Amino acid sequence: MRRGFSTIVLILAVFQCTIFSQKPDHFYNVDTEKKIKGTIQNIVMESRYKDASPFLIVVLEEKKTEEVYNVEISPVRFFTHDFHKGEDLEVTGSLYSKEGEKNIIARQIRFRGEIIILRDKKGFPAWRGGEMKQKKRRKGKRF
Amino acid sequence: MKGRNFFLFFYLPFLGIIIIFFVFSSLNRATIKKRTEDLVKEQLRAAAGILKVNISHFLKENYSVDEIFESYAGEEDIYYIALLDEDKRILGWSSRFEGYLPLSLQAVGNEESWIIDSPAGKIFNFFSPFSPEKGKSYFLYIGYSLGDLEEMVLYSRRSFFLIFGLISIIGIIFFYGLYQLQRHYLDKKKEAEDEKKEKERYREISAFTSGIAHEIKNPLNSLSLLFELLHKRVPEEIQKDVSLGKEEIQKVSRIIDQFSASLKPFSLNKEIFPFAEMISDVRESLFKEFDTAGIDISYSESSSIALNADKGLMQQAFLNLLKNSLEASEKGRIGIRAWQKKGKVLVRIDDPGRGIPDEDKARIFEPFFSTKKKGMGVGLYLTKKIVEAHEGEIEVQSQRGQGTTFFIHIPGG
Repeated sequence: MRRGFSTIVLILAVFQCTIFSQKPDHFYNVDTEKKIKGTIQNIVMESRYKDASPFLIVVLEEKKTEEVYNVEISPVRFFTHDFHKGEDLEVTGSLYSKEGEKNIIARQIRFRGEIIILRDKKGFPAWRGGEMKQKKRRKGKRF
Repeated sequence: MKGRNFFLFFYLPFLGIIIIFFVFSSLNRATIKKRTEDLVKEQLRAAAGILKVNISHFLKENYSVDEIFESYAGEEDIYYIALLDEDKRILGWSSRFEGYLPLSLQAVGNEESWIIDSPAGKIFNFFSPFSPEKGKSYFLYIGYSLGDLEEMVLYSRRSFFLIFGLISIIGIIFFYGLYQLQRHYLDKKKEAEDEKKEKERYREISAFTSGIAHEIKNPLNSLSLLFELLHKRVPEEIQKDVSLGKEEIQKVSRIIDQFSASLKPFSLNKEIFPFAEMISDVRESLFKEFDTAGIDISYSESSSIALNADKGLMQQAFLNLLKNSLEASEKGRIGIRAWQKKGKVLVRIDDPGRGIPDEDKARIFEPFFSTKKKGMGVGLYLTKKIVEAHEGEIEVQSQRGQGTTFFIHIPGG
């Protein structure tokens, strides 16, 4: 979990401090929302917004098309799960392109059977409005 | 009044008032909220108009979009701001929340302003075209915080629910009080009606039984005289039997006298007399009538007590009580203690007797209840009747083998 961010993840993570530069398309655009399923290729931390702490970025390869996406998850300190290379991840988020790379601002991810909600439907960050919501995927019928 | 009737009579109108109050207050609050929102919208529209003029000026001066937004960074009420070109492509934007710019160009209609809900509260959105110079046009998208308005609405709602709750609680307490008063009044009324019926019934029975007693008493008197004559004329060997017969007739006569006395309603002839003197008279007559060897009767009072009551009846009442105590005690001391409190004379009589079993305690004041072989069960009944005729009270406390205590409270001290 967040506090116990595993050693493996720490080794895999490459901290990149980029100079802040807010691009016009880099916002949660509800009009470009997309859902992709893929495999985690890499995990990095990057500064994404001005005056905000570094974000967790997952490099995800889409299974169907083998296209690579940089998935913006949330500020590192707010994320409570461990990602590992090679694991499956389903992301719903807003797509934008930056310098020829495809980027997704994640709204909701499905990971190891859990749905983690990172933003509301209009893109308001969950970490700015309280605890991050999680819900277990229900298996079978409910009576 | 039955529970349902009470509900209909008291709580239904109260509930009606509360509902009307709730509906009117809610409507009133909704109207005020709407008007305030309109006012705020107008003010924010005007503020956005000024902002457009300023941005136009910056654009004319060839400032970059980032530089323009930097100058508005300190504005607490601006949650996000974006500048779009004439094709509605975003040229630049800034937001207080990472990546949050709730602008859907597919959803944007002709409206210039609208309000959205967000976890940070309500946000007033303003989307409007402007032209800093001829041939160039832009769109300004801005989100103002409506936190102050929400705070005001929240305060208004809190105040409303506080007042509503207070009125409800006060109303419930008030109507519950009314209900208790009403119930108490109805209970008392029923008690008075029952008492009246009981008195009427008692009067009828008394009149009937007094008549019977009178009818029995006349032949008994004649019979007693006849036995008297017989006693003088019969031979000496049967004189003893005749005497026994005469005694039995006199016994029946005494029973009838006591029975008649117990049925008669008392008419009180009140007078003020020293209580100690009355007790002393009672004690003397007891000493004359009974064998009181081994038993002492003591009397003490807190101060000199004068009682306003029917002296004769009071004597009879205390005579009966002390007789009862004497009969129950074999030796020791019967203590009488009297004191005054709030216009009442309070008397406590303790005897060292055998006590009263629990099952008999509730019945000792009933007429014709007695555990003694020779007793008729009229003494304590009459005592209670006399005390109650004086609007007083009598209670008993007793434990088997540990004596008995009578408490008598009589007004008129």
